[in-house]
Amino acid sequence: MMKTKLQLGVVLLAALFAVGATAAEGGNPKKGKHLYKKECKVCHSKSDAAGEITPMSKTMAQWDRFFDKDKHGAKPEVFEKLSEQDIKDIQQFLYDHAVDSAQPQTCG
Amino acid sequence: MRTLVAIVVAQALGLSVMAAPAVYAADQQDSAKIAELKKQLADLTEELEDLTTRVSKNERHSATDRIVLSGDFRVKAHSLHYQNVTWNPAIAVNFSDFGMRAMAGEYGNPMDANSPLGKMMTANPDLAMAFQSGMLQGVMPYVLANPETQDIDNDLLYTTRLRLNLKAKVWDNVDFAGRLSMYKNWGDSTGVQVFDSWRSFSMDGTNSGNTSGDWLRVERAYFDWRDIGGSPFYLSIGRRPSTYGPPSQYRENELRGGTPSGHLVNFNFDGLTLGYKLGELLDVEGMVVRFCYGQGFESQWGNGELFGDTVTKDTHLGGFNIDVINDGNHFLQLTLFGAKDINDGFKGTIAFPNQLASIFAPTMYQDLQKFDSFNFVTRVQPSGVIGDMYLGGIGYAYESDDEQKFFASFGWTQTNGNGNAGMFGGMLSDAVFTAELNADGTEIIMSPATADDDSSHNGYGVYVGMQIPAPYGKVGLEYNYGSKYWTPFTQAQDDPIGSKLATRGHVVEGYYIFDVNPKMFIKLAGLYYDYDYTGSGTPVGAPQKVSDVIAGRAYSLLPVVDKAYDVNASLTVNF
Repeated sequence: MMKTKLQLGVVLLAALFAVGATAAEGGNPKKGKHLYKKECKVCHSKSDAAGEITPMSKTMAQWDRFFDKDKHGAKPEVFEKLSEQDIKDIQQFLYDHAVDSAQPQTCG
Repeated sequence: MRTLVAIVVAQALGLSVMAAPAVYAADQQDSAKIAELKKQLADLTEELEDLTTRVSKNERHSATDRIVLSGDFRVKAHSLHYQNVTWNPAIAVNFSDFGMRAMAGEYGNPMDANSPLGKMMTANPDLAMAFQSGMLQGVMPYVLANPETQDIDNDLLYTTRLRLNLKAKVWDNVDFAGRLSMYKNWGDSTGVQVFDSWRSFSMDGTNSGNTSGDWLRVERAYFDWRDIGGSPFYLSIGRRPSTYGPPSQYRENELRGGTPSGHLVNFNFDGLTLGYKLGELLDVEGMVVRFCYGQGFESQWGNGELFGDTVTKDTHLGGFNIDVINDGNHFLQLTLFGAKDINDGFKGTIAFPNQLASIFAPTMYQDLQKFDSFNFVTRVQPSGVIGDMYLGGIGYAYESDDEQKFFASFGWTQTNGNGNAGMFGGMLSDAVFTAELNADGTEIIMSPATADDDSSHNGYGVYVGMQIPAPYGKVGLEYNYGSKYWTPFTQAQDDPIGSKLATRGHVVEGYYIFDVNPKMFIKLAGLYYDYDYTGSGTPVGAPQKVSDVIAGRAYSLLPVVDKAYDVNASLTVNF
């Protein structure tokens, strides 16, 4: 009985903390932006052979799939050298600025 | 040799006899596997066929579905409280001119009770006495009603705002964007409000920020044509994204909502932007130089009287809007623009307040009294050009990596009046009225003749604030101040008491935003307004010290608010 109560408490707490959940739990999009520039743009800028990648290259769901399943499958060592937190930060940044995310309402 | 062959054959036979059951079993397994694989293949083929059908449908759908729709929905409850709301109406009359004309007999024989002057003296015996005893000379106020001061509490005001964003990819470098919005207070879809302040005017520039019923209006509609001819130039024309600009997006809990500084401009404009992404050349992230042009008033089309009897002029705006840097952490913006030929108002609709009818239209008021809860709705248009304006500003916002946000903005406005005035005044000046005979010469009416001041006035405003993470959301604190002549174009800001950033005085706002989930938030906020001068949010009329109006030393044709506060709670859903 005690155990059930404890479990219930944990579930409630988890539900409470799930409020504000984003793509990668605990990802910091601002840090992700710096990391994206440092780690991703070296190979994925406009005229690179690997092809240009911007946050708008994928939808939010596609970015999540890329990070959860693909894990940079074409060159897995790229992700292996990054810390788990760094990857979360990059994922959050890309998710926040994906093609179907909210964009600034300006004319450029 | 024969023996050897025999042995080998015997062994082979023996072996094969011995191996026969194993071979048979393997065959059996292979057939089962093949059957299984065949089945799986058939299943897969079936699945693939199903998927192909579904993907084709999606492909067809996405190819023909040319508009991406998104939006937000907000319900808000306000509790509004106004203190020392004072109405002390008067007009400034040139009594010397009146005396000269009266002496020349322009208003008829004063001894004849049926002459226009005689009728006026009979209707205003105190005024006639004061005038005859020489107490009224030069330009002096002609008081129109007894002053009234009261506190007003509107304990509950509910509003609903629905905004639908449209986006379409026209071509690789051309996009269309639009926003349809509805903003209403509960239980009202008349589209007009009783004209008790400039805020309550239903008109083109402010419809998105003023409750105007259950109509879905086009708040924005424009295209962006980027990288023109492979250059960093872009062109955008249409109904502009000129509301909710930085740094006002923080309190809205949304991304940058408009291009120009929200401290100077929060107003719907029709016009164009020619931009140049200078940052691509100088390697500064987000650096953009924009030339903006727009028209805020059309003087001829649909205006004037029957035969184009137009006295107003088109109002044109032009200027520069520069994002010096916008890299996600630092944002610095410079704004400078001018507006030429500003008129003493806009085209719009109002419900005419009966109190003004009793003062300015006594004949009509005789009938209106029989319908004292009826207000006639009328289209109004300005009466003439009152001058030009310039606006400038610099704004900086810093967002740390852990979402702490700080901003400061400084704004400047300059008005250059031309000495003309309409009923509510000239450019930050009051009208001086002259007594004239009406069309059939039977009555003296007061007409605004000139402005009491045609000098230039500089106003300034400051806006500072911060927003920091808090448990389950964020908290924010903001302060803004506007000087006596502060006159920005922020009238479409949807604060019901009036655009807080247009306030000539002080405003403090504190809020807490509870992020329910990434798409929903609850905001609890309190705003406190302390007005120093009258006329916030309009270039028409001389700003009067609010304390002077309350003390009866100064006058205002519209009610004046001293202090006010707005406590509100809202729930916003983004979809």
